[in-house]
Amino acid sequence: MKNLLDQEPTTELGAASYWKTEDDATFAIMGAYANVRSLFDRDYYLDGHGEYFRTRGTSTVADDLLHGDAYRDGNYNPSGYGGSFDRMFKNLYGGVNRANYVIDNVTKMLPNATAASLPNLERIIGEARLLRGMVYFRLISMWGHVPYIGSTVYSNAEVATIARTPIAQVKDSIMADLTYAFEKLPVKAPEIGRASKAAALAFRGKLQLYWACWNDFGWPELEGFTADKGAAAAAYNAAAADFRKVINDYGLTLFRGGAPGEIDSLGKADKLPNYYYLFTPVANGDPEMIMAFNHGGTGTNQGEELMRDVAGRSHENSQCWVSPRYEIADRYQSTITGDFAPKLIPMNPAAPNARTASNSALNPRSYADRDYRMKASIMWDYEVSVGLASLKVTNWVPFIYKTWNQPVTIDGEKYTTYNTDGCNSGYVLRKFLRNYAGQGRSDGDYNFPVMRLADVYLMYAEATNAVNGPQADAIDLLNKIRHRGNLPPLSGEKTASKEAFFSAIEQERIIELFGEGHRGFDLRRWRALERVWGPPGGPGVWRMDTHNAQVTRYYQNTTPREYQQNYIFRIPQSERDRNPNLTQNTPWL
Amino acid sequence: MCSAQWDLRKTEIPFNGQRIINVQLKPDQKALGEVVVVGYGTQKKVNLVGAVSAVKVDQQLASRSVPNASSALSGLVPGLSVTQASGMAGRNSADLVIRGLGTVNNASPLVVVDGMPDVDINRINMNDVESISVLKDAASAAVYGSRAANGVILITTRSGKGQRKTQINFNSNFALVKPTKAYKFLADYPRALTLEQRLAAVNTLPSLFLFKNGTIDQWMAMGMIDPLRYPNTDWWDIIMRDGQMQQYNLSASGGTENTNFFISVGVQDEKGLQINNDFKRYSARFNYDAKLRKNMNVGVKFYGNWTKFVYALEDGFTDDNPGNTAGFDMRYAIAGITPYDPATGHYGGVMAYNEDPQAYNPYTVYMNTLNRQNRQEANSSIYWDWSPLKGLTGRIDYALNYYNQFRWNANTPNTSYNFQTNSFGSRIYVGANAGVGNYTNTGYKTMLTGRLNYEKTIARHHQVSAMAAYSEEYWYDRYQATSRNDRLHPTLHEVDAALTDIQGTGGNSGTEGLRSYIGRVNYTAFDKYLLEANFRYDGSSKFLPGHQFGFFPSIAAGWHFTEEQFIHRFTRRFLTRGKIRASYGSLGNNSGVGRYEQQETLSQLNYYTNAIQKGFVNRKMVNQDLSWETTRVFNLGLDLGFLDNRLTAELDYYNRLTTGMNRPSEMSILLTGAYTAPRRNIGDLRNRGVELNLSWADKIGQIRYGFNINASYNATVLKTWNEFLARGWTFIGMPYHFLYTYEDTGIAQSWQDVYNATPQGASPGDILRKDLNGDGKIDGNDKKAYPHTQRDRPTTNYAFSGHLSWKGIDFSFLFQGAAGRKDYWINNYNDVNFSAQRYAATEAHWTNPWSVDNRDGLWPRLGGNANREETTFWLDNLSYLRLKNIQLGYALPGSLLKRIGISSFRIFGSAENLATITSFRGLDPEKTGNKSDAYPLNKSYSFGFNVGL
Repeated sequence: MKNLLDQEPTTELGAASYWKTEDDATFAIMGAYANVRSLFDRDYYLDGHGEYFRTRGTSTVADDLLHGDAYRDGNYNPSGYGGSFDRMFKNLYGGVNRANYVIDNVTKMLPNATAASLPNLERIIGEARLLRGMVYFRLISMWGHVPYIGSTVYSNAEVATIARTPIAQVKDSIMADLTYAFEKLPVKAPEIGRASKAAALAFRGKLQLYWACWNDFGWPELEGFTADKGAAAAAYNAAAADFRKVINDYGLTLFRGGAPGEIDSLGKADKLPNYYYLFTPVANGDPEMIMAFNHGGTGTNQGEELMRDVAGRSHENSQCWVSPRYEIADRYQSTITGDFAPKLIPMNPAAPNARTASNSALNPRSYADRDYRMKASIMWDYEVSVGLASLKVTNWVPFIYKTWNQPVTIDGEKYTTYNTDGCNSGYVLRKFLRNYAGQGRSDGDYNFPVMRLADVYLMYAEATNAVNGPQADAIDLLNKIRHRGNLPPLSGEKTASKEAFFSAIEQERIIELFGEGHRGFDLRRWRALERVWGPPGGPGVWRMDTHNAQVTRYYQNTTPREYQQNYIFRIPQSERDRNPNLTQNTPWL
Repeated sequence: MCSAQWDLRKTEIPFNGQRIINVQLKPDQKALGEVVVVGYGTQKKVNLVGAVSAVKVDQQLASRSVPNASSALSGLVPGLSVTQASGMAGRNSADLVIRGLGTVNNASPLVVVDGMPDVDINRINMNDVESISVLKDAASAAVYGSRAANGVILITTRSGKGQRKTQINFNSNFALVKPTKAYKFLADYPRALTLEQRLAAVNTLPSLFLFKNGTIDQWMAMGMIDPLRYPNTDWWDIIMRDGQMQQYNLSASGGTENTNFFISVGVQDEKGLQINNDFKRYSARFNYDAKLRKNMNVGVKFYGNWTKFVYALEDGFTDDNPGNTAGFDMRYAIAGITPYDPATGHYGGVMAYNEDPQAYNPYTVYMNTLNRQNRQEANSSIYWDWSPLKGLTGRIDYALNYYNQFRWNANTPNTSYNFQTNSFGSRIYVGANAGVGNYTNTGYKTMLTGRLNYEKTIARHHQVSAMAAYSEEYWYDRYQATSRNDRLHPTLHEVDAALTDIQGTGGNSGTEGLRSYIGRVNYTAFDKYLLEANFRYDGSSKFLPGHQFGFFPSIAAGWHFTEEQFIHRFTRRFLTRGKIRASYGSLGNNSGVGRYEQQETLSQLNYYTNAIQKGFVNRKMVNQDLSWETTRVFNLGLDLGFLDNRLTAELDYYNRLTTGMNRPSEMSILLTGAYTAPRRNIGDLRNRGVELNLSWADKIGQIRYGFNINASYNATVLKTWNEFLARGWTFIGMPYHFLYTYEDTGIAQSWQDVYNATPQGASPGDILRKDLNGDGKIDGNDKKAYPHTQRDRPTTNYAFSGHLSWKGIDFSFLFQGAAGRKDYWINNYNDVNFSAQRYAATEAHWTNPWSVDNRDGLWPRLGGNANREETTFWLDNLSYLRLKNIQLGYALPGSLLKRIGISSFRIFGSAENLATITSFRGLDPEKTGNKSDAYPLNKSYSFGFNVGL
């Protein structure tokens, strides 16, 4: 046989024949999107670093990027997590390399590109630079100074002894990427899931807002970084300017016009508020989703596993890896007063009046007339959801904490209760939970948002408030978000001072962005861990459940060093063993 | 049984006054002419200069009820380590390793059947095998060059050559199979729940226990009267059975002046120890040779086999695929589940209050989620040889191996049932939308070989022979999978019998080519001095041009020193024969490299916008310079025959250095998220060892008997590793996967013990680890490395076998043993920190854990601290001695049989793995460490007969 030693692969594409056409550039950016998607599309786990969300584990598969390798092995408790994100670190750099590969190769195509194809090629470079910018932003917000790799790497030797680049320099590179992206991206991408100008601007704004916070509140754990109030003010202003453009220039609106939508009575779920649908595929491609990572459903091998992570066995054998903590409930305000409702009282279900006592956490009535986002986000006792099995609807499934999979009769109808071993607070998520059949627990087609218009509103309000105090347009934006929960506008006292308005913004961030992975980052950039959990060496704070049992105590007798370790992540030690130039963040030395 | 010996047996015919003495001179032929199959030819055993062990497959070996040829080799060949990993029917092949772990890549030997490499040794019918040669050194294996680094096993099937009379043989064998040892799960749910309470009591208030006293008491009381609703299931009893193995084989062989043939059909029917684990093999062979002209021969060989394999889970009791999160592990099979209720047709699920609804009913899995796999193979070859001149032979061989494997599953929907509430539980074992899955692997391999042999004797005492060959091998494999959801009806199982709305498909193929030039020269002078040189020059499509070819030469020399008069004079009294031989050469290995791994390719990573979008990423960072892994072997051997060769001894020493083991290189974490690390020729590994083979055969009166002892010792050491090595069980100057362990001082009996030890979070009842470096804390730095102890394989293998025959009675035995391996006795079934729900405790959990009332407990306390760490506490010596086989047969006298037209009839009884001496507390010292593998090894008792016509 003549070509015996020359065997061609049959399912992989020979690289020699690549990078010839515009299509090749498109396929390459699609590959980069698919890769970077896996670095952000399970950010809900990260909400475990906050105080209202429990991540007891993950549904990830080791060494399988599409199944969450980036999130695997992470510790998602409110404390003690900083040393467990080596895989995230590794995979984020994977994203950097993917983006670099596209940027370098498409850039090589530019000199010979026709005038007709030039904008498209530049758009692709813009998208790749946006992705790279997002990835580096995540890197610096967790690890501070990080090695900067700006072009394709061809051999290990190029990075084997690389040192960390100071955060300011990395930040400037990200700015350059996002600015380029902003210039070259289309005003509105025709394809759902590809980035538009607003995405680049929103991330540039967010980067500057974080930069402002680090300079404002300080980041003492980051060696060599000196906070500078002047730089903070400038960055707040620049952030606000970017956010303002996002809000005003592209005709973006909140999902369904920001209307609260319909709500069903307690214990029914035929009608659910608009906020619920924002986290179902109905919202895919909605203008509110400034940047979202797409998923294909059944048969595409690109499903998300939100249901698997948020729901119980009664929902396609889901595993309930994440759930709301008991403490979130009191955060949902009254639609009547527009302020916090009387605190719920957790009660032992054996108590004779547990189900009827006023404000009892076990009395469904206690949850009446609350922020619509409460019903859309969490389920308490006797709330129902659609049971799913074998891609079919089973029946309504009532949730009754610790009464798992039991027959129950409600209003003469027989049901089997919700079943999970993953909930220890008395609540489970409705947010992200599908209410229709046809997709398995790993086959979801929801486009996970990493930048929503509501977040931009809140960040805008935060940035302007930090420099100038409460502003009318910012208050207005907050009220738009509150309207979504059918809450009345903020009362005057909530906007009376910079501090009061900051609290109102934080409150909205907690409720509006619940379970989307923001809270831990917010607490760190605001240096708010001590505010939430008390000072070092303190008694810590218990997390409770609706049955009035103490579940877990965090920050008990926690040392200052452990606090520091929660403010900055550990550079992977295995890499430091190999690379003597790679320095460590001081709390981890 | 093992005939790695020369046999110049004297023929003694007792003189009892009969008038005619028939003297058959057959032993002579065996002695002088015994021929051993070597690569691309045969050689006289006496003239071998390489390290070759030959096994003749005799009746005793063929009568053993071993499931496959690899298992049958256990204990027969010094230097060949045979380890049984599982007793699962269809997956019970043994791992073969020649002369220690040669490389950290694939270290399995190359198997060549009738000249064709890459035949699955486990699909061969043992009854068809004439002989097995194991090529251990470079001199013998170099003709297989690039793939011979781990040695070669040559299997030759029978022919009718030299037979005067057509022989018809029928062999049958029936075996009853039992486990050598099995886990003992606690078939007592209240006690299992009590253990959960004890575990919980470590840090939970009784009022918060998941399992209340009421639940346990009720179960205890009701269990006695209502086993359906309060079961105490003995799972082992439900899902295990007595295994069976039946083997039947019919063969005929014969020949005439110009033709000869061997035909055989065989059936092997195995029923595993686990329910619905069945394996059947049907095989047929046809070997035929014909003389076309005086100087011209042709021959064909055809071997077809068909297997049917039924199993539920990949490893029998578990599925270690990390993607399978269904919890199919016996540790989740709690006793409080009713397997199945025939009255209602429901499969049970959890019922106890607060039990984890994901607890597991293995019965439904082994009944309703079966994989059925059929595989057909056809191995065929033809040759044509022609000797146009005296001494010169040309030969062309063409071989084609084809396989087709089809696996399907069509699971039967069922849901866990709660017989207490008469309602379905939440665990859906198989969803109502279960579909059909079809998986096909098919492919072929071809080989074309042309070769020339030349033999000449010069000046009477100088024999020269030369062989040159050219060979092309080509592989083609493809895979296709299809699945659909929603089977129309449970009786249907083809894909068309399912709805089309949700389907899945997959498919790929791969090819590979190998081009080789092979040569050998032998020179023998005065029948005393032996010289041999071999080479093979191989080109593989796996590598890039410029790096495709590897050259693997070897030389060897031998000296029959007893033929020298000046020696013979002194040694003739006791030493009949003596030969010293030495060889040196190199061998290759490309097994670690993927077929297209070295090519620059982009791989798919699709994205989804409005629809699915093609996406490509570059995952590769190819090392253009990657080349063969090379193994250099030096072998020194001594063959001795004493006392008219009644006692023979073979001694071998080898030194085997594998250089440039190609491994994925160490790559920065800044790259590994995007790129797979390119392979580099990274490490060197040395194996040194000695082998001994000692045989005694003699005859006392009418008793023929013989013994064989063989033993081997191998030391492996990692010489170099051109990359960063983190602290762990791979290190320079140490064996690969050496023992690296915490040491302990045993279980703390009191708080005083705890205070006396380095702080480590222990309480009384916990194992106390030693602070070896004295830094006041227990961490990885406190582990101790043992340079002479390996965790994966023994250093020493030995066997002792014997046979005895008297008149029609024959008896044989085989002991086999190993030493030099230590591993931890930690598995999923002796967990002292089990989960708070759904744990199927074993009986040992009740008796073994330490407690204040059980201070001598073998295990630390339940729910303690750091008690699952790999400390010496759990460390066991995996040395063992095992009675592999014992066999007793009786052949009816020929005179009796002749009258009914039967030439021979033998009945026999045989037992495998009858007894084992070991201090290992786990399942079996032969198994390799897998924490969830519960499939025992098999012990079997068989009975059978052989008839010859």
